Amino acid sequence: MMKPSKSRLTLALFATGYVLAICWVFTRSTPLAPKRPVTVRIAHWQIEKGPPDGFDAVIRRYEELNPRVHVEQVAVPSAVYRLWLRSNLSGGMGTDLVEFGYFIGGVNDIPVRYFEPLTRLMGEPNPYNRGTPLATVPWRLTFADGLYFELTQSPEIGQIYAATLSQGSMRLFCNRELLEKIAGLGTGAPKTLAAFRTLCAQTADYARRTGAVVHPLAGSLSNGQWIIDFTMMGSVSGMNLDLDREGYLARAPRQAMTDYLLGRWNYRRPELQAALALAREMALQMKPGFAQLGRDDAVQEFMRGEALFIFSGTYDATSLKKLAPFTVEAMRYPQPQADDPVIGRYIRGPFQDGTIATSMEIYLNKDSRHKDEAVDFLRFITSQEGGQIFQEHSGWLTSVRGVPAPPELEIYRPTGEGYHTGIQYIGIGPNSTMKFWQHLHLLVGPQGSVDRFVDALEKDLPEAVTADLRLEVSGNLTALRTVDSEIVAMSVLNRLQPLDADRVKRQHTLASSQTLSEANGCESAWVLARHGYQP
Amino acid sequence: MPRVAPSSFRFRLILALASSLPGGFCAGRDVTTAWELVARHLPGDALAQLGAASADPSREAKLARAVAQMDSQPVTEARLQQVAEQLTTLARGDDEIAAAAAYLTGRLYQVHLPTPDPSRAAHEYEQLAARHPGSYWAQLGLVKLALLVLYVLPEPTEPAARLAVAVALLPRLTAPELRRDLHIVLGRAKLFHGRPGTEVLEQLLAADRIGGLSGVSRADLQLQIAELSRREDNWAQARDYFSRFLAENEVDARAYQVKEKLAEIAAHLRTGKAARP
Repeated sequence: MMKPSKSRLTLALFATGYVLAICWVFTRSTPLAPKRPVTVRIAHWQIEKGPPDGFDAVIRRYEELNPRVHVEQVAVPSAVYRLWLRSNLSGGMGTDLVEFGYFIGGVNDIPVRYFEPLTRLMGEPNPYNRGTPLATVPWRLTFADGLYFELTQSPEIGQIYAATLSQGSMRLFCNRELLEKIAGLGTGAPKTLAAFRTLCAQTADYARRTGAVVHPLAGSLSNGQWIIDFTMMGSVSGMNLDLDREGYLARAPRQAMTDYLLGRWNYRRPELQAALALAREMALQMKPGFAQLGRDDAVQEFMRGEALFIFSGTYDATSLKKLAPFTVEAMRYPQPQADDPVIGRYIRGPFQDGTIATSMEIYLNKDSRHKDEAVDFLRFITSQEGGQIFQEHSGWLTSVRGVPAPPELEIYRPTGEGYHTGIQYIGIGPNSTMKFWQHLHLLVGPQGSVDRFVDALEKDLPEAVTADLRLEVSGNLTALRTVDSEIVAMSVLNRLQPLDADRVKRQHTLASSQTLSEANGCESAWVLARHGYQP
Repeated sequence: MPRVAPSSFRFRLILALASSLPGGFCAGRDVTTAWELVARHLPGDALAQLGAASADPSREAKLARAVAQMDSQPVTEARLQQVAEQLTTLARGDDEIAAAAAYLTGRLYQVHLPTPDPSRAAHEYEQLAARHPGSYWAQLGLVKLALLVLYVLPEPTEPAARLAVAVALLPRLTAPELRRDLHIVLGRAKLFHGRPGTEVLEQLLAADRIGGLSGVSRADLQLQIAELSRREDNWAQARDYFSRFLAENEVDARAYQVKEKLAEIAAHLRTGKAARP
């Protein structure tokens, strides 16, 4: 039998251990119950250097202001984003806020199916802008572009589905030390396309003289696509305005599709031939075989000092500046002038070097359990304070108006002073775009030419554009159908509940938007039925 | 004869009073919640809220169930046919529910069924307009009928005849916002079918006079009137609409072009070139 003093000691030890364990559990370990009752999750694919830090900083400040709410960012690599998006949303496990973009492809049904419009909220001031010049400005108009792009991309006319976080543009990022080696000390950014051509020739000469492997532009399929896209956009503004029968001063993909089937344009038009010739010239400043390479290959080529410039989005800027062993300077891409030998005669004027459209669109999940808190966080991150924090820590320009930027970020800001007339004809829908890129080797390959490319493309386009327009009509119908139930629901709720003027307005806006969108669909269907490709 | 217990009597009295109130106030809370869910595009939740068809046999609940089923995945032709039958039954009444059900029947045949039946949809809208001419749903149906006439129905074959039939619908529309939308639809159809700019402008200006548009639709209408007026050499009108557009859309991607056009118009007006009244 144990002596009483020994058993007391054992008991005391047990008690001490128990008390220590309890203290540990409640003070050091993860809380058994979360301290904050609400967790809002936001998913995005911006895993480059910059944005995750921006999100972290905004979240820290937001959680200071809102002790009830915990915010988590879910960073999903872009390679699996589409799959992740579809499986999580259809499984009811999507995050409360979701980054989304139509360019992902094959996901056009997702907004109407899984996201909730923010239209009504966008008409109200953002409470986090209190005390700033934007205090009384409707949320929509606090964005640099007034969410114009969101409105034009909306699956339902007049509805706003997303708030944007950033504003970017495509820029030439230059290896400053290499530039000075090639063109001399103090050489500045090329201001004209002629100056850029001279710099490309100097680079080729430098490579020949020194035996160094250096190309003017770092190459990959993505970087090639971006420079072709940018070059084409500036070159087709005159053509777009010539085709603008409706007076919108811009062309939408739907209009380009119907115009194509009606025979109003094709790739044999002189403007497009010239635009393609310029695109070919620019793409050939990349190393041969660039189309086989990925975006990371181009970044590595630039990092190794084997390319003078990399043409990329400002979304790559933070990564490039942080990772490069040399000074990286952002420069505007020089615009062709009226005297340009290739495209000059078709240039209507300066074009917007990067549209004023804001991007990094964040959508509200319809099935979110914490919609109010999710919207509140979205308001904060798009307020002047939230935008400033995001910009400072991510190195990305914020989408919010009136937030000052340091000079090294200011160069990213699109001018806005120039033409922006809609599409740039690198295909006009998913099928025709696929054909455009499938035949790219005929344009930029060693044996390539504009004629070879156009011949091959034009052979495929009637069928591809018909398929695109069919998709457009079908997407239009999907969006229209869901609006019917909402219009009826608004009307019934106004009968069952006290009359709500906002709801009446919403019902009428929905009906009007639906009718106008339906008219677009009817026009497309008319053209499809009479002029679509018949095998 | 058993005496009615006071509590039961009170319950019956409340029920009787409730049933004498206008339709809305006797609808159950479940139906209202279901409609709120439908408005938020959550048809599955709405159907769960409504429960089995026998749970609430009211017309209000039947309409809610039919509308939720229209949207609930998976949408199949068989299910839509069932919905069409339910709506047809509801449309036989003589109230707001009947008008809404008749309108939705037209919509089913116009856009929801995998194989649309535009002639049947047009017939439904005509019938609705004949039975409830002043109803919002009948008026909206006439706008949808105009779309069918302009672009979808096999007859008339000639665009000019299509336009004439659609224009003839205008006097039947008394709801200003729907009349406005029909003016815009007609203006666009005239453009599409190649009618002169003056005819297009006539419709678009009529729509603008009614007003009430917002967002992109409003901006597009202003810009269209401005640019088409400019092309018709109606400089003053073009200037007014470009100016209105710019005042309301300073961040629009087309603002630069509009500023250029305003400068061009100012030059024309300064030199006194054909400024029409």
